[in-house]
Amino acid sequence: MIEDLTQKLLSQNLEDPSLLEGTAQFTSKKLLPNANVIKIGGQSFIDRGKKAVFPLIKEIKENLPHHQMIIGTGAGTRARHAYSVGIDQGMPTGVLGLLGTFVSIQNAKMIHYLLTEEGVPYIEPGGFSQLPLYLKQNNAVIFFGMPPYTYWQRSPEIGKIPPYRTDTGCYLISEAYGTKNMIYVKDVDGLYTNDPKKDKNAKFIPSITAEELVERDLDDVVVERAVIDMMKSAKNGTQIQIINGLVPGNFTKALNGEKVGTIITSK
Amino acid sequence: MAKKLEQLLQVNKMDKHNNHIDSMFMRESLLDKEVMKTGEGTPTFKMLPDVHIVKIGASSFLDKGKAVTYPILDEIRKILKKERLVISTGGGARSKHLFSVGLDLEMPTGVLAQLAGEDCLGNAHILGTLLSPEGVIAIPPESIGHLLPLFLKAAPGVVYAGMPPYSLWEHPSKKGNIPSHRTDVGPIILSETFGFKSVILVKDVDGLYDNDPKTHPDATFIPKINVNELDKMNLKTLPFNRVVIDVLKSNKLCNSFQVINGNNPELIEKAINGEHVGTIVHNDNY
Repeated sequence: MIEDLTQKLLSQNLEDPSLLEGTAQFTSKKLLPNANVIKIGGQSFIDRGKKAVFPLIKEIKENLPHHQMIIGTGAGTRARHAYSVGIDQGMPTGVLGLLGTFVSIQNAKMIHYLLTEEGVPYIEPGGFSQLPLYLKQNNAVIFFGMPPYTYWQRSPEIGKIPPYRTDTGCYLISEAYGTKNMIYVKDVDGLYTNDPKKDKNAKFIPSITAEELVERDLDDVVVERAVIDMMKSAKNGTQIQIINGLVPGNFTKALNGEKVGTIITSK
Repeated sequence: MAKKLEQLLQVNKMDKHNNHIDSMFMRESLLDKEVMKTGEGTPTFKMLPDVHIVKIGASSFLDKGKAVTYPILDEIRKILKKERLVISTGGGARSKHLFSVGLDLEMPTGVLAQLAGEDCLGNAHILGTLLSPEGVIAIPPESIGHLLPLFLKAAPGVVYAGMPPYSLWEHPSKKGNIPSHRTDVGPIILSETFGFKSVILVKDVDGLYDNDPKTHPDATFIPKINVNELDKMNLKTLPFNRVVIDVLKSNKLCNSFQVINGNNPELIEKAINGEHVGTIVHNDNY
């Protein structure tokens, strides 16, 4: 079988749909099936300071003996400031992405310093080969959420803001390693029909499929559109949950597999 | 733009959760469709507007040996005397073999993308070795981005591994696990960031056909096409990564690329001079 595949790949155009169809039978091994990827929001969470962050850190510490956590961070307010200044200064999207990355590094390091006593390391994209070791040793690592696309960040369909940001970077780690859960810790209960901070009549959506979500074409969604789009092709990362981390206990419940926010599934 | 900025700042001042720097996106969801439009149509600074990027296919040339590779390099040496070039290459047959073994071993897309980068870097080093007398060396992806302007001040060209450094962060592919962002799309994204003068993909076919010309001798040549039209044609085979279509549609600085046949090496210089000698694929901004 592998011999056939090799011959096909060598002789056919890699964009041939029939060839790609034939490769669909190969599954992706779940490399870390017991781990959880956690994304801590930048704007929605870390920027709120200790009244939001400290209780979450406490919950992370309480759960360290029981759950493996790969913790990524958002960028938030300073990234928005950088995007705003950057767009005005004529920066291309690839450079804007870089500016956002620096902010998500700052946030990752702050979360890292808050967990130093627990021995939780901060890793950069090049350090992911140590990830399994650190999870075995300490059950957790911190990384910056931006995907390391740097100068290769694609332009968005409209505007200039990098389309692949920290929600996407965290999701892709969950997809690549085939983790048990992908949990987004934000400051809202989950997905609404509109931004609940601006529209009081916005309705809560407890669960939805990626396809339904695309069909609804909402003006505002709680998670980056790229994540929804990628979920349609997911091999392992077929479910994400968005939770309100400001509510004590929500994070622990989500780690335990309980539904406390909005669940988005591939199908 | 100014009105939008003012309007957004207004929203900020009304905000109670007041731990923000005032800027046009504060307290705005970056996921709001209106906010996402910000910057649309505003000018983008071109970092390297005189530089051309040339991708030399590995399956088409390096893997086939020096009889086809050396004439291309002779042509490149000639061009380097007056133009500045970013030269990129792919992984060729070794990447295809890697995908085969990797798929069989149940490796996820991100792992295959990470490992395929090594094949490209190997091929980049072959080109870098052969172009050393010109001061052209192979640069790994970690350094190429921010150091590119400096390298191109020191030497007329650099070689880099064409694979975008998406690595574990490669997008899931629509079908199967072969990474979708490979070595043709890499130069097109890089050109969008740096504002290169032109993107030239050097292949072993004359350009784009409505079918694979190697297996269908009756296939019709397409000299020039809008990417939206190309998307609608839904062609079975393409002489470049399919994701190029999506990328080119959204691009603002890099609005076209040309596919040419490197078996006629003199076409490279012509393409660099802006001549139409292969297939030009462009978007609406072209």
